[in-house]
Amino acid sequence: MTHHYLDKLVQAGKEKGFEIEQNVDYGAGPVDVVWNMNLHSALPNIKFGFVKLGAEEGQGASQDTEDNQLSLRKIEEAAFRGIRSGLDKVYLVTENEEMAKSVSGKIEWLASHGSLIRLDAISLGLYPEQQESSVVIPSQKRVPEGEKIRKEKEREREEKFDEYNRPKGERRDKEREEEKIERELKFDENSRPKGQKKVLDD
Amino acid sequence: MSQQGQNSHTEPERWAQERLQSIDTLKAPIIQLGRDMGYEVIENHDLGAGPVHITWVFKPGSESLPDMRLGFICLTEFSNSSINEGIARAMLNLIDKLVFVVPTETMTKEVKDAIESMPDTSILQLRKFVTVLTPSTLVSKSGIRGSRERRSAQTGGEVV
Repeated sequence: MTHHYLDKLVQAGKEKGFEIEQNVDYGAGPVDVVWNMNLHSALPNIKFGFVKLGAEEGQGASQDTEDNQLSLRKIEEAAFRGIRSGLDKVYLVTENEEMAKSVSGKIEWLASHGSLIRLDAISLGLYPEQQESSVVIPSQKRVPEGEKIRKEKEREREEKFDEYNRPKGERRDKEREEEKIERELKFDENSRPKGQKKVLDD
Repeated sequence: MSQQGQNSHTEPERWAQERLQSIDTLKAPIIQLGRDMGYEVIENHDLGAGPVHITWVFKPGSESLPDMRLGFICLTEFSNSSINEGIARAMLNLIDKLVFVVPTETMTKEVKDAIESMPDTSILQLRKFVTVLTPSTLVSKSGIRGSRERRSAQTGGEVV
């Protein structure tokens, strides 16, 4: 399935007029597909690399994709393979959407420690059928919308609270005299401990 | 047949055990040396990117300057993936300089060549970030004074 996707990548690159390299090794390990983009004759080529991430391990043969998670070790290794190979961008190709999101999330998390290298500016997770943008929206951009929703709910809750839990003084001002007597009688009747219920005269 | 199955299971375990043992052997003199030199020594320093086997943390002389972290990662065999992984772990764990500790001089050359063979166009030039050496080189060289130190000792001046 991923092989098929790599073929698609090759095809897409060719259609866009990029120079394509497949299964290349610049000295830091294999890169599955490279797009060499020549945007202008005065500018150097831009290199996009695609590295396939699989479940298989070299020696230990451990399968770490059972829960749609790839290990940090694999992600780091593949990203730095691309960086050491002189690629400008390294895209990590996974089996499905969940894995791709997990990879992008892990990259973002690794970058959040404040290292010299912003890994999330160089690397991202992709999955075979991906059509939409693979860029993870940073939490700073997500929060204002969430904050808006939260405040709306808070306002609704406060309105309800106001309606049913209005302070006594406020309620009393709007009450008529008969209503007040009735309310106080009911309060008196229902607020006593069980043994001390007031016995009403017949 | 069952015995065969058992063997295939124990083989990777045995291999991992041997690898851990050789890492411990490589680590021991570095831990000792760091302590002797009065640095803070951290074993398996990890901020989330995977362990850096040993880290020496030291203050560069002034309170206003940040602590420096010198990381040591032991490699028991040569492979590009282990080099990639080591560099990733060191960089993402905020190590200022990385030292790859390898068991033999032959491997020192292999790893050095691999690091220096990076394309010139690469965003990272790792020559200044990574040093490769064997534990014996590190321990023996720590007892030898540099030419500047020798000169200053002779003239009685300070090294600036």
